[in-house]
Amino acid sequence: MNPTVLFVAVLISLVTLALLRTTGSKRLLADGGYIEGVETTTREKPAGILRWITTVDHADIGLLYLILATVTGLWGGIDAMMMRTELVTPEATVWTAETYNALFTVHGTTMLFFFATPVFTGLANYFIPPLVGADDMAFPRVNAIAFWLLPPSLFLVRAGLITEVIAKVITPLGLPTRALFAIEPPAIGWTMYTPLSRAATNPEVDLFLLGLHLSGIATVLAASNIIVTIFTERDSSVNWANLDIFSWTMLTASGLIIFAFPMLGSAMIMLLLDRNFGTFFYSLEAGGAALWQHLFWFFGHPEVYILVLPAFGIVSYVLPKFTGRKLFGFKFVVYSTLAIGVLSFGVWAHHMFTTGMDPRLKASFMAVSLAIAVPSAVKTFNWITTIYNGKIRLTAPMIFCVGGISTFIVGGVTGVFLASIPIDLLLHDTYYVVGHFHLILVGIIVFAMFAASYFWYPILTGRMFNQRLARAHAWVSIVGTFLTFSPMLLLGMMGLPRRYAAYPAEFAPLQQVSTVGALILFAGVGMWLWNMIQSYRVGAVVTDADVWDLRETGQFSREWEWFERKLSRK
Amino acid sequence: MNRPLSAIAGGAAGMALLSVMLVMFEVETRSQIGLFDVIARFVGLPGQTALGFILFALAGIFAWPLLFISLENYLPLWPDPAVRGMGFAAAFWVGFIILGRGSLSGPILIMYGITTLLAHLAYGFTLGAVYARLSEESP
Ligand code: HEM
Ligand SMILES: [Cu+2]
Repeated sequence: MNPTVLFVAVLISLVTLALLRTTGSKRLLADGGYIEGVETTTREKPAGILRWITTVDHADIGLLYLILATVTGLWGGIDAMMMRTELVTPEATVWTAETYNALFTVHGTTMLFFFATPVFTGLANYFIPPLVGADDMAFPRVNAIAFWLLPPSLFLVRAGLITEVIAKVITPLGLPTRALFAIEPPAIGWTMYTPLSRAATNPEVDLFLLGLHLSGIATVLAASNIIVTIFTERDSSVNWANLDIFSWTMLTASGLIIFAFPMLGSAMIMLLLDRNFGTFFYSLEAGGAALWQHLFWFFGHPEVYILVLPAFGIVSYVLPKFTGRKLFGFKFVVYSTLAIGVLSFGVWAHHMFTTGMDPRLKASFMAVSLAIAVPSAVKTFNWITTIYNGKIRLTAPMIFCVGGISTFIVGGVTGVFLASIPIDLLLHDTYYVVGHFHLILVGIIVFAMFAASYFWYPILTGRMFNQRLARAHAWVSIVGTFLTFSPMLLLGMMGLPRRYAAYPAEFAPLQQVSTVGALILFAGVGMWLWNMIQSYRVGAVVTDADVWDLRETGQFSREWEWFERKLSRK
Repeated sequence: MNRPLSAIAGGAAGMALLSVMLVMFEVETRSQIGLFDVIARFVGLPGQTALGFILFALAGIFAWPLLFISLENYLPLWPDPAVRGMGFAAAFWVGFIILGRGSLSGPILIMYGITTLLAHLAYGFTLGAVYARLSEESP
């Protein structure tokens, strides 16, 4: 039987069984909360591994998200290093073209859905309750489910590789492995364009779509939880005017998730039906290729803002702490966040300028795309004016924020160029685009994550990290990012298309520079990982909650007060 | 726990991690490096991957940890056994790179270097950390 049909059948029967078992006896509300009036007792958390599997505590779940994201981020990083290795020489000598296609597919998917999104969900889980004065998230059990859906989704998306590991391990035992080897890593790009994705015979493509769908469900659950928490669980002292900027951006991003992810989910279900049940949503005759692109990018463009808004939030949150000033124009940073949230749904077709869309339509998408640069620029100017005349302390989180702003300026401005139709016609699907979005994805999104990991490290672990190593990591990352991704802008302007394992020899020097940059970035990641693990073991134990001298400038914010209460209870 | 036993426990934990990492890397890099052939070459049994790996594992569980604690007072640098373990494993990595390389050449050497170094450092760190924990030598 077709593996997808089998899989769906198994899923349906499991769900039915679960429903049969739970109806009747239990007195739980649909959201997992208790019916009021029923006695509840608090219990100690169980010890050891059981604690982590059964936890519904927002801080524990936040940590689980962060740990999972660290693993997936490293995995996606290894994919990236493999691509850069392949690109050292013009010929495809190391890996085959097919493997290279699989590499950029899983790299993109892993990084966007299983690394970047979970990092921000994890931080939100850990810090939004203390920031808004709540005890926990609104729906603790939904929270746990949302997390635990991710490992199986990851398994499905990366099944091609995992089944191969299993096959390699059981081959010596003489067990049959043909079915396992038949599931190969998918090579359809993270954009999953039809007709390729529709026609691909690799059965893993079905698992890939199911896995992404599952992760989408997990993401929507987590987003709903964040929205409800911020709306209903706020302490009476927290109102919309003094809600912190990180919660604002998480709230907006979660709103985008609610609108964008179901779109992707439905589009993928239609693709699954096309592949397995003979429907023809995306058939070429029916103009299916364009349909997929519209549906995908209606999700895809908001998705980039889903990732970048929380990063903006972290930069806006951390920057003032190390300049000794308030965030300049707080209100306008919030307004620009909301503006980006709305506008981001009106620009998707700028990814389709080279298709045969009506020129008048194209022009309107160009106009909105140029408009969306305005709120982004508003933020940038607000950050710069926050730094201006401030009492700057170049701690590791601060270097990451400032470096992130500088790379974001380059990444953002290249986006404005791409949004202009005549330029995009030249640069579409070249390395220029890869350079553009990585200067943002690595340049500000990952930088903000690093900034957050250092800034909040004392709260997360109760210990202090090695600050000098962290500062070195920050500088190394800035150099590495520019060195890796600026050559790509040049390669694109010289006309090199993206997504090929082999390329004409004249592009080799710039490609090699880019690989050296990637090695530097990777070394930086090693410094970070080392610092995180080793400081957790032997770092200085924090006894005074005011690690960053924030009281002096009146910026000892709620999450630190929460930390202080936790310390004093010990 | 006494020191040799703690060290062997550390070696076993490190070896478990190292094996998982090697299998993952081997598959992830689409068997282009042939890490298990590398190991066979490294222990001097080219072509016999299964036997080679068993020898390698035994060495990683017994020989290296015991060598590690017997050299402990002579190993330089840091007071933390985990860090010392990493330095110790890095020394082996150099041997691994030279002896195991075989006919690998070109850009693949980048991946070869990175993956094997990561695996060795993880091994050394686990060895030292578990050893420190069990023998209660403070870091
Ligand atoms: C200043 C606002 C921005 C503008 C005007 C802009 C514009 C564009 C345009 C026109 C393209 C299509 C290029 C092509 O394929 O021909 C593009 C691609 C892309 N952008 Fe942006 N962008 C902006 C911000 C961002 C942000 C904040 C992110 C990420 C967080 C991002 C991530 C991407 C990605 C991932 C792609 C490539 C998608 C693919 O084809 O695989 N962009 N951008
Ligand atoms: Cu876009």
